[in-house]
Amino acid sequence: MQAARLLFVTGKGGVGKTTVAAALGQYAAGLGHRTLIVETATDGRLAYLFGYHALGPAPRRLRAGLDAVRIDARQLVEGYFSGLLRFPMLSKRLLASQTFNALTAAAPGITEFLLLEKLLGWIEPGFGVRRRGYEVIIVDGPSTGHALKMLRTPRALATMVPGGPLGKTARRLLALLGDHARTQVVLVSLPEEMSVRETIETQQVLEGDLTLRVARPIINRVFPRHFSATEAHLIEQNGELDGAAAPLLAAARFTIAYRREAERHVAHLRRALGASPILLRQLFTADVRAADLERFGRRLGKAVLEPVDDSRKPKAESEKHRTGHDTHGDH
Amino acid sequence: MATIESLFRKRLVICVGAGGVGKTTTAAALALAGALRRRRTAVITVDPARRLKDALGLDGLSMEPQSVAVDSVHFDALALDTKRTFDALIERFAPNPAVSARILANRLYQELSNELAGSAEYMAMEKLHELLHLHRYQVLVVDTPPSAHARDLLAAPNRVTNLLASRAVSLLQAPAALLSGAPSSVARVALFPLLKALQRWTGLHLLHDLADLAAGFEHMIEGFHTRAEEVSRLLRAPSTAFVLVTTPEPHTVETAISFHRELTDGGFPVAGIVANRVLAFPRLDEETVPTAAWDERLRSKLLRNYRELQELSQRDRRTLRKLQGETGAPLLAVVPAVTVAPTTLAGLERFARLLL
Repeated sequence: MQAARLLFVTGKGGVGKTTVAAALGQYAAGLGHRTLIVETATDGRLAYLFGYHALGPAPRRLRAGLDAVRIDARQLVEGYFSGLLRFPMLSKRLLASQTFNALTAAAPGITEFLLLEKLLGWIEPGFGVRRRGYEVIIVDGPSTGHALKMLRTPRALATMVPGGPLGKTARRLLALLGDHARTQVVLVSLPEEMSVRETIETQQVLEGDLTLRVARPIINRVFPRHFSATEAHLIEQNGELDGAAAPLLAAARFTIAYRREAERHVAHLRRALGASPILLRQLFTADVRAADLERFGRRLGKAVLEPVDDSRKPKAESEKHRTGHDTHGDH
Repeated sequence: MATIESLFRKRLVICVGAGGVGKTTTAAALALAGALRRRRTAVITVDPARRLKDALGLDGLSMEPQSVAVDSVHFDALALDTKRTFDALIERFAPNPAVSARILANRLYQELSNELAGSAEYMAMEKLHELLHLHRYQVLVVDTPPSAHARDLLAAPNRVTNLLASRAVSLLQAPAALLSGAPSSVARVALFPLLKALQRWTGLHLLHDLADLAAGFEHMIEGFHTRAEEVSRLLRAPSTAFVLVTTPEPHTVETAISFHRELTDGGFPVAGIVANRVLAFPRLDEETVPTAAWDERLRSKLLRNYRELQELSQRDRRTLRKLQGETGAPLLAVVPAVTVAPTTLAGLERFARLLL
């Protein structure tokens, strides 16, 4: 069996990580891969996107070929340490102990590591596991700072604790994360300064320090390019802002300015990373619909789940052509 | 009913909310507005956007107040440095320089002061406590680190003192203390693998470092506790106002609603909500749109563009109504979406005008 692939989605808070994870998951399942989406947040957004109210610690079927699960860091820590204690009465006392809680809150890396270890169980189910493992696992990760901390943990642990089961797990994780054919970090951004800057810094750390593979960056909520350059010029030159057409012109100017600002940030990201971002358009509906997820999934899936190719420098001409039409006439 | 003007009669204005909603900009604009009302004002920002930082003259990301002049008025701006504030606190409470040096060199302390969830939040509170006691400012506007939950922000002072007061020294000498009430021989046997596991995490000699840290802190716990209580009282004082900043996206509004609930449950005075990046394109009678000026293709594009923005405007109206309904908090300001985030003083002035 081919080794499972891991997509770790992260980005600044509120950029649409869950939407991206959901769209990728749906697309992967549509290709016939047994897919699992792992929710690490507690806000229930993922389940909401698929019309369920809550996910739990055991994978739950969302639709054919697509499961989802929610992992709760606190529960993992409690589970791990009660496992070590083996006496339910004692572990109950322990978990209620303020000292224990202070210790685990302060000991760096525990929750991050346990979370990754949990993933390993789904990705490499090991011998004697009857069910077939997943082929694609998508982590709807925490926001950037916390995600970086998490992705750093296995290496820190493998260096510091070379032996024992802990060290062994750390090395397995390290091998999984560092395998460019299997694992990619997916960075989601908005077309705004803060968000783009954070994406650039994160990608540099991920690729440079951690030698992880980072997928083409994703920029979410890009305003459409409704108007050609000539039309934009016409609209912006037209001084008639008090007549009956005024609201139309004001709205058009708003969109044009938003699009222009977005393009500036897209260009900044492209220049800084040498990779062409994948653009997802701003939606004009109350919330993300199934059809949007499908469309996003197609766009993302082709770029992120395409057969592994290490020479992933974008071909300048075709990329340019593509992004020019990316969010144009997409209804 | 609180208004945005009432904020300038408070001593402490704390902007809270999820990441990316415009807290930093709102805090800076409120400080500017305070200055324009001739109040001695300062803003504490956390990780401001590069260009806003430049505009504020905050390039050095300094904890020293820097003066930002706008027209004839000025306000002070400071950027928070969690680690340095923590260090300063240690130096203040340590009985002598040797103890503080020992703590500052402790590995666990270094992890803790940078990484412990909530320490940035705690230090924001700590810094403003210090500033308020200097009586240098009439209004202090605080931009808080992005938190998904109010409890991260507000539980922070207790989290630090909990750890320090957690019998860590006795724990090292008698691990059974962790399981108070259990027969100590059973507890020792049971706890052995646990303690080993805890040691292994991260390779820090966690317990040793902790005991070392706790020993260093022994004489300081009292001071920390008192300080945490003062900060906690300060946050609930009538002279304090929390401002909940949000954007109108449905999901962000849900976060804001639970944030508001946590704040009011905790007894923190929420003055109201600032809704940022709101679209307000009113309904349009398409019949009245003149056709002469444009060809059919452009006309239909213009209409389609308008309908899309109006769709979003409706969504914003709905979510904000829901926000008000569920929180019962006043909308202090509705700031329309602007295409370029303010990154210059002039931009900040424009933003402040929209806010007020």
